Amino acid sequence: MTYKKKNQIKNGEKTRRDFLNILLSGGFIAWVGAVVYPLISYLRPPQVEVVKVNSVNIGKITDMDKDSGKIIKFGNDPVIVIKLSDGEFRAFSASCTHLDCIVQYRKDYGQIYCACHNGRYDLHGRNISGPPPAPLAKYEIAIKNDEVTVYKPSA
Amino acid sequence: MKETFNKKIYNALNERFQLDNLVSFLKHKSVPKYRNTIWYYFGGISLLLFIVQVATGILLIMYYKGSEDLAYESIKFINAKVSFGWLIRSIHSWSANLMILAVFVHMFSVYFLKAFRKPRELTWYTGVILLFLSMGFGFSGYLLPWDQLAFFATKVGTDIAGQLPFVGDFLLKLLRGGEDVTGATLSRFFGLHVALLPGVFVVFLSLHLIFIQRQGMSEPEDWKNKKESEKTTIPFFPNFTVHDLLIWLIVINILAILATFFPWELGPKADAFVSAPVGIKPEWYFLFMFQSLKYIPAKVWLIEGELLGILGFGLAGLLWVLVPFWDSKTPKGKRNKIINYVGIFAISFIIIFTILGYLLD
Amino acid sequence: MYKYIIYLFLSLIILNTSFAKTINKINSRVIQQKADECLTCHFDNESNNNEPAHLFKQDIHFSKGIACAGCHGGDSSKDDMDEAMDKNKGYIGILSKEERYQVCVKCHSDPNKMKSFGSNIPTDQFEKLKGSIHFIKSVNAVTPIADCVTCHSVHNIASVKDPRSKVYPANVPSLCKSCHSNPTFMKQYNPSLPVDQYEKYRTSVHGKQNLKGDAKVAECVSCHGNHDILSVKNSKSPVYPSNVPQLCSTCHSDKNLMDKYKLPHDQYENYKGSIHGEALFVKQDISAPACNDCHGNHGATPPGVESISNVCGTCHAFNAELFAKSPHKKAFDKLKYPECITCHSNHKIVHATDELLGVAKNSKCVQCHKNEPNDKGFMIAAEMKSLFDSLESADKISLDLLKSASQKGMDVSEADYSLKQIKQILIQARTITHLSDIKEFKDKMDEGFIITNKTKQAGLDAIDEFYFRRYGLGIATIIITFLVVLLYIKTKRIDKKK
Repeated sequence: MTYKKKNQIKNGEKTRRDFLNILLSGGFIAWVGAVVYPLISYLRPPQVEVVKVNSVNIGKITDMDKDSGKIIKFGNDPVIVIKLSDGEFRAFSASCTHLDCIVQYRKDYGQIYCACHNGRYDLHGRNISGPPPAPLAKYEIAIKNDEVTVYKPSA
Repeated sequence: MKETFNKKIYNALNERFQLDNLVSFLKHKSVPKYRNTIWYYFGGISLLLFIVQVATGILLIMYYKGSEDLAYESIKFINAKVSFGWLIRSIHSWSANLMILAVFVHMFSVYFLKAFRKPRELTWYTGVILLFLSMGFGFSGYLLPWDQLAFFATKVGTDIAGQLPFVGDFLLKLLRGGEDVTGATLSRFFGLHVALLPGVFVVFLSLHLIFIQRQGMSEPEDWKNKKESEKTTIPFFPNFTVHDLLIWLIVINILAILATFFPWELGPKADAFVSAPVGIKPEWYFLFMFQSLKYIPAKVWLIEGELLGILGFGLAGLLWVLVPFWDSKTPKGKRNKIINYVGIFAISFIIIFTILGYLLD
Repeated sequence: MYKYIIYLFLSLIILNTSFAKTINKINSRVIQQKADECLTCHFDNESNNNEPAHLFKQDIHFSKGIACAGCHGGDSSKDDMDEAMDKNKGYIGILSKEERYQVCVKCHSDPNKMKSFGSNIPTDQFEKLKGSIHFIKSVNAVTPIADCVTCHSVHNIASVKDPRSKVYPANVPSLCKSCHSNPTFMKQYNPSLPVDQYEKYRTSVHGKQNLKGDAKVAECVSCHGNHDILSVKNSKSPVYPSNVPQLCSTCHSDKNLMDKYKLPHDQYENYKGSIHGEALFVKQDISAPACNDCHGNHGATPPGVESISNVCGTCHAFNAELFAKSPHKKAFDKLKYPECITCHSNHKIVHATDELLGVAKNSKCVQCHKNEPNDKGFMIAAEMKSLFDSLESADKISLDLLKSASQKGMDVSEADYSLKQIKQILIQARTITHLSDIKEFKDKMDEGFIITNKTKQAGLDAIDEFYFRRYGLGIATIIITFLVVLLYIKTKRIDKKK
C-alpha cells in the first residue's frame, strides 16, 4: 500500500519536477530571447540619412572630348557619362550588373567594359558579352545653355 | 528521447577526450557550508562581470572609433543612434565599476578567510595580478570616450606615474605615447584595453580557475582539525552552480536597471586648452589614494611629499601581496589576529578616504 | 593849372562826403581819421591799379573809419608816397597769402578792439578756421587753402547780412563753387571728393529757393559751417552721419519756419523713434540711413512717389526687387501711393511685426483689400497669415516636444539643430510677402513644415524610446524574476535531494 502511495507520490513528484523543468526551460528560452533580441538589434546598422540627389551638373559640353567617357558621383552611386563621336551624351549606372565593379568606357572597343570579369555593354547599356546578366540602368541627360546635367531615370 | 540524445553526444565526446575522469572529479568538488559561504559567491560574480565586459566590449568595438577626432562622436552615435546602443554602453560602464567592486570584495573575503595560505599561494598571486589588470582595464577604458573628465583624469594619473624615481619619465612617455596626453595616448590605451590586457587577463584568469578547480574550494582554518563526516558541504555541481546562476541572473538584472535609470554620462568633448573642470577627481577605486596624497605635506625630510605617498602605497601594496609569506601562523592552524587587524585597517582606510574624497569636493 | 585845382576841389568834396558818413558812425573813443591820403592818391591812380581804392569805398571797414593804413600800415596822413609808405611807420604793403590773414586776425580776434568799433560779431573765427579742413590741408603745408580773403574778399568786404557780400546766404553757393566745382583744383587736395555738389544743389528745393534770393533756406554754410568746416569723416562735423538728423532738424523742426513753406516739422521726432533712428543714435551704427541717405545731401529732394522703392531698395534690395515684380507696384503707382511708405511709413519706420500681414483689423492689407469675392488680395493675405501662424505654432510644438525629450535624458541634439532653421525660414518668408505671390510663399512655408514635421517626429520618437526602455526593462525583469523564482525552487529541490 505504502509502496504504491510512494510510487504515486514519486510519480506526482516526477510530474511536478517535469513541470518545473518545462517552466524552467521556457523561462530560460524567454530569457535568451530577451538578451538576443537587443543584441541582434544592436548589430543592425542604424539608418544614416541619405541626401536625395536628383540631378548632377557635370559642366560644359566642351569639357568632355568626343568619343570618351567619365565616371561621376551621383549621390552615393557611380554613373558613367559617355560623349559619343557625334557629340551625343549618354549616361548609365556605372555599377556592373554582375558583381558591382565600376565599369569604364573603352575607346578601342567602342563599348562599355567591366575589367573584373570581362563584361561588355554596348553604347545603349545593353549587356552584350561576358557574365553581366542585365543591362545598365539608363540616366537622363539634359543640355541647357551649353551645360550638361545628368538626371535620375524617371522610372 | 531527450536523454538518449544527450547521452549520445556525451558518449561521442567521451570516446575522444576521456571525459569520465574529469566528470567524476568535478562531481566530487564541494563547497564548505557555514556562515561565511556567502563570500564564496564573489569570485563567480567577478567572473560573470568580466564575461559581461567582454561581450559588451566586443559589441562596442563594432561602432567605436579610437581616434582623437572620432572617439567622442562615435560614443554619441552609439548612445543616440544605435539600437540599444545606450544599453550596451551603460552596462559596460556600470559593469566595469561593479566588477572592480566585486573583485575588491572577493579579495578581502579571501584575505579574511585566509584562503591565501598554503597550498593556495599561487592562486592568491594570480588573483592579485588579476586585480591590478582590472584596475589597468579601468584606467585605460576610462580615457576612451575622450571627454573632459577622461582627458584630465588620464593626465593626472600618468603624471603620478611619472613621479616614480628612475623609471618615472620613461613610464610617463610610454603610457602617453609622447610628452602630453594626445591622440597618441588614446591609440595606446585603446590597444591596451581591447588587445593586450584582455589577452594577459585571460591567461591569468585561466591559471586562477585551473588552480581552484584542481585544489578545490578552500576550507575554513578551524576545519583543519575536523573529521570528514563533521564537515557540512554542498556539492559544487549542481547545487552551488545553480545558486551561482541565480545570483548571476539577479546581477544581470541589476545591471539592466542601473543602465536604464542611471545611464552613464558623457561630458563635453576633451579640449587640451580648457581649464580642468572644478571638482575633478579620479574614479572611486583610485580615489582613496588620490585623497590621501593630498594630506601629505609638500616636502617630508628631503623627499617630495607626493613621491613619498606613492612609494608608501607601493610598499603597502607589496606587503599586502606578499601576505602568504609573512602569515606564518595560519598554516600552523593558529589564529592570526594581526592579519585581521591589518585587514580591518586597510578596509577602513580605503572607505574613509573614499568618502572624504567625495565629501570634500 | 586849373585842372589841378578842380581835381583838388573835387577830391576834397568827395573826401568830405565820405567823411561825413564816417563821422556819423564813429564812436567817441575812436581816433578821428583825418583825410586818408592813401585813398585819395590811389583812387585817382589811373596808371596803377585803382580798383582797390574804388572798391574800398563800399567796404564795411571804410564805413567804420578804418583806412588803408589800418591793414596795410604806414601813415595815411602823409600825401608823400615815401613818407606814407614808410616801413618805420609800420607799412607792410601787400602781404603774401601765407601771412595776410594775420592782418585780419589782429583786430578780428581781439574782442576789445571789435567792441571799440561797436561790433558784436564773434571773435573766434580764426580759432575755428585753424582747426578746419581749409586751414590744415594746404599743398605746400604753409599756405592755407582758404583764408579770410578767399571767401570774404578784400577791399569791398560787406557784412554777412548785406546782399552785396560774397558770404551772404544767397551768394554762398557760387562762392564755394568757385573751388569745389573745379576738378583740377580739387584734385590737388582730395581726388576722390566729388565736384558736382553745386549742380546737385541747384536741383534741390534748397538750391532753387536760394537762387530766388531766399536767405532762409539751407546753403553750403548752413550745414558745413563757415569757419570750422571739418571733413565728413570727422565725428565733430555737423555732417557726420550721426549728426545729420539734428542738423536738418535745426530748420526742419522749426514750426514757424516750416509753416512758411507749408512743410511738416515732425520728421525729426518721428525719425528719432524709428528703427533707423535707434540704429543710428542708440546702436551708433553709422551705416544706418539718416536724412541724406534717402533725400540726398546736396540735391536734397524727397524721392518721387514711384521711386521710393528704389531708394529703400538701396539697402532693402531684395524686398524692393520683389515689390517691383509684385502687382502692388503697378497699382500703387497708378493710385499715387508712395510704395514702401504706404505700409511702413517714411520717418517713423518702426520694427515691422507680423501683425502688418493678414486680414485682422490692425493689419495693413485690409486698409485696401476687402472681404469680397473678386478681391484676390484679401484671400492671399489671409492665407499667407494663416500659413505663417501655423508654421510658428508648429515650431513651438516641436520645440516643446524636443525640450521634453531632452529633459527625460534623450539625445535630440540633431533635431534641435535643424529646428533652428525655422527662424531663418520665417525671416525669408517675411521678405517673400513683398512679392504678394501665394505660390512662392507656400513653397517657402513648405520648406519649414518639412522641418517641423521631422523634428516633431524626432521628439515623439525620443519620448517613445524613453518609455520603451522602461517597459522593456520591466518585461526583462519579469522574465528574470520568473526564472529566478523557478531556479530557487529548483535549488531547494536539489538541496533537499542530498
